[in-house]
Amino acid sequence: MSRIMAVAGRELKSLFYSPVAYIVLTLYLLFVGLLFSMLVFIPGELANPQPMFEWNHLILIFIVPFITMSLLAEEYRSGRFEVLRTSPIAELEIIIGKYLGAMGFYCVVIASSVVFVLTLMAFGRPDFHPIFTSYLGLLLMGSMMVAIGVFFSALSEHQILAAMSTCVTLVALGILVGFVRQLVPTSWFAATQIRHVLGYMAIEPHMANFARGVVDTQNIVYFLTGTGLFLFLTYVVLESRRWR
Amino acid sequence: MQNAAEIVVQRLTKDYGRFRAVDDISFEVAKGSVVGFLGPNGAGKTTTIRMLTCYMPPSSGSARVAGFDVFGQSLQVRQNIGYLPENTPLYPEMRVEEYLDYRGKLRGMNRAARRQRIAEVAQRCWLTERLRWLVGKLSKGYRQRLGIADALLHNPPVLVLDEPTVGLDPSQIREARKLIAELAGRHTVLLSTHILSEVELVCQRVIIIGRGKILAQGTPDELKQQCARAGAAGSRLLVEVRGPSDQVLSAIKALPGVEKVQVLADGPVQSLAVVGRLDAQLREQIAALVVQRGWALREMRLGGASLEEFFVQITDPGTSQAAA
Repeated sequence: MSRIMAVAGRELKSLFYSPVAYIVLTLYLLFVGLLFSMLVFIPGELANPQPMFEWNHLILIFIVPFITMSLLAEEYRSGRFEVLRTSPIAELEIIIGKYLGAMGFYCVVIASSVVFVLTLMAFGRPDFHPIFTSYLGLLLMGSMMVAIGVFFSALSEHQILAAMSTCVTLVALGILVGFVRQLVPTSWFAATQIRHVLGYMAIEPHMANFARGVVDTQNIVYFLTGTGLFLFLTYVVLESRRWR
Repeated sequence: MQNAAEIVVQRLTKDYGRFRAVDDISFEVAKGSVVGFLGPNGAGKTTTIRMLTCYMPPSSGSARVAGFDVFGQSLQVRQNIGYLPENTPLYPEMRVEEYLDYRGKLRGMNRAARRQRIAEVAQRCWLTERLRWLVGKLSKGYRQRLGIADALLHNPPVLVLDEPTVGLDPSQIREARKLIAELAGRHTVLLSTHILSEVELVCQRVIIIGRGKILAQGTPDELKQQCARAGAAGSRLLVEVRGPSDQVLSAIKALPGVEKVQVLADGPVQSLAVVGRLDAQLREQIAALVVQRGWALREMRLGGASLEEFFVQITDPGTSQAAA
């Protein structure tokens, strides 16, 4: 456990040492600010931050890849992976440490959006329950996104490639699946089932529940299994690298 | 010898696809000794080291480090080994002290032990005044020291150093060698290098590897004798004579006991390497011959067997079959 925390702590610090962290934070605040000023902060309307959280994943899809791209790819490229692997630390500890380090930074990113909630509080009285569940949803959604990022970072020696493949996957899950679902013709065999499966795969409806203040086990399970699946796949990738 | 061996390698083999990088090698490293692992680039040194440090598993064969099997007890092996990989990969954004602290945490050392050992290794590796520096700002020499300090941090019984002096300037190389020589006794050191003088200076034993196979092993002196017996450099006389070139050459060749004469430099002054039986009193004969013919003898010395010549001879694809 202390080894996991050592890896996580080092990773979190090094994210803050790099300029990427500040660019990412700035961009995130900029786009969430846009959502906030266009959809939430409207005079005479209810103080309801729901749209800001409901569409948050569209921003995070492009943010998370930059947080996770260097996690393992940069270790491979620089040769530091050899140092890490020949230290008395298990693969799983490396993976979980890296994941937690990136999650730590992700939490800082989403926490920065609290300024908009505070702004709303200054001018109105928003309902706190959906705000709380929204942050829970962002945390769980981020967990899956970061796990996907860790996985692609483990696949490549090139950070940019890792970032791009993470981004493509997140766009597919976050945006494309929803569209494809609409395109499935009703005449197809088992069209409703296919639509149902595609609908379950998409990120958006799961996040939308949390943004509305609904905590549904199905959504929690979705994000947690996604996290588990991609961390497990990362483990498989690291194990297979050993044999090459 | 059996009980005191800290590293035991038995029939170790590694294949990369169809390419056999390490081919059935076996050797032992005695506790507390410094052993040089010598070979040209691409000979399989790094591959062997990576198997010993549990970076990758062997294709077949086995190895034990500090009494633990590299495959079955990899975590214990890694706990008992200090490894400096080639090129010393580090985190440039961290401070020296911070990096050593992180490495200590990875090895499960508690806070007090980390603080104490960091101070110790920093002093040992002449790093104390650089502890607050960013790793990225360190010179190559200091990076290398930090790498060695990292390898020493948990006071492991076994140290594996992969080309520790590459990229250092001459005075840094001397310092690094001094440090490595100091480590002998307390640690078992496996030192990979392709620099021969290094091996002669710091190693008690040498293992020469080429194309994945062990070509020779022994103490540096044993290897020199072996190469003298192989008829290479031990019985070589270097002679410089002023005189007509064809006559000098044929006259020396005709002397009893001379086996081979090699012209190193031609011209008014001949530089020759004479190979023959030393017991045939070659030097006296050559001196007498030169005086008798009225030529001038400018220089004559015994070309001592150097490990370098042996190394070149043994690792050269053309001759190695005979030597091995």
